[in-house]
Amino acid sequence: MSAFVKEITQAEYEEQVLRSAEPVVLDFFSTECPPCEALAPKFDAVAEQFAGKARFLKIFRQGNRDLAARLGVSGSPTLVFFKGGAEVGERLSGEDIKRTAIKAQVESMVG
Amino acid sequence: MSERYDLIVVGAGPAGLTAAIYAARARMKTLVLDESVVGGQVKTTHKVSNYPGFPEDVKGSDLAKAFAAQAERFGARIRRSVEITKHDLAGAVKSFELDEEDVVEAPAVIVATGAKPRELGVPGESKFRGRGISYCATCDGAYFDGKHIHVIGGGNSAVEESLFLTQFARKITIVHQFDHFQAEPVSAQEALDNPKIEVIWDSEPRAFLGEKELQKLRIENVKTKETRELDTDGVFIFVGYVPRTDLVKGLAKMNPWGYVETGEDMSTNVPGLYVAGDIRSKRFRQITTAVADGTIAALAVQKYVKDHAHAKAA
Repeated sequence: MSAFVKEITQAEYEEQVLRSAEPVVLDFFSTECPPCEALAPKFDAVAEQFAGKARFLKIFRQGNRDLAARLGVSGSPTLVFFKGGAEVGERLSGEDIKRTAIKAQVESMVG
Repeated sequence: MSERYDLIVVGAGPAGLTAAIYAARARMKTLVLDESVVGGQVKTTHKVSNYPGFPEDVKGSDLAKAFAAQAERFGARIRRSVEITKHDLAGAVKSFELDEEDVVEAPAVIVATGAKPRELGVPGESKFRGRGISYCATCDGAYFDGKHIHVIGGGNSAVEESLFLTQFARKITIVHQFDHFQAEPVSAQEALDNPKIEVIWDSEPRAFLGEKELQKLRIENVKTKETRELDTDGVFIFVGYVPRTDLVKGLAKMNPWGYVETGEDMSTNVPGLYVAGDIRSKRFRQITTAVADGTIAALAVQKYVKDHAHAKAA
């Protein structure tokens, strides 16, 4: 994981996601999940690009089932976007998440 | 500045990686591109039982990594998680722009981008993707611990992934459009005998329903035309594949189903452009047929590049 991405637990969700001053991208990932492995370097690259402007967080789904259930996340990887404490935009999920698609969503949040 | 290769392979599945093994061993400077990690569809197949050389089952992701390690050992370069942001495959020199940054080029390209899971095209499907609908059992099975889930389909993937999902789910209901499975008899029988699995025959999904998350699935019996709604905790869809042809659309000749037509040597109608694996128009799509395609394409490309270099020199 790059220096621009931080892993959190559901206990930190309020503080790190809902009360964040910057827009947040939250990545639910699992083990035994090749699409999650594939996403990781793209997520890191976009995180670096938006360093200081948006917050990039990862959360391990198996260890944080309650939050995943509360947000209705049932697949990995799933990217959920937040601004001002509320979810915004479209979730990105599954095998085909493109780097340019993540970038476009983050751009619209920080713009 | 662009980096020049002898061969660029797009797609690091069995076909692409086999092509890379053969090309790299022939001392061609070879680059393999994939938007994901290696393995193509094999990487999310929980076990492979019909690939020769593995008397015990092999995990799909392990087989994928072994293919890649072998290609890299002979000097092929594999770029994972890379996005092709521009491409030009029509001319004598074929080029790709990667992640809006680098440009790579080669006189020959093998497109081995394979196929991706087919979507049903039923209302609610995209809305609930990742909110109850999944196409990957290894990725998402654990989300459904103790739950009652539905699997759509009756071919090998549907039946084998259902068997895999029994380790998580309390109950699995397979919904299949015909009155028997298309899967191989061994797995089909195993599914029929499994106490956690029940099957609704002759039925197709018509809608996925719920508020924020998937809650119900509407199905229609195709014989009686009767529809009903079933409560569900999640749905896995395994209803076949569609070829990934974005790179060659409008360029390579395709059959009416969107698969690319090739000669016996995997060449397309465009000089220097080859395809291999599931993207190709053919009768059977297996790991073993993909590696065969990859082999043939790499051997044909060696000759093409050599002749091409001679032609240029002459």
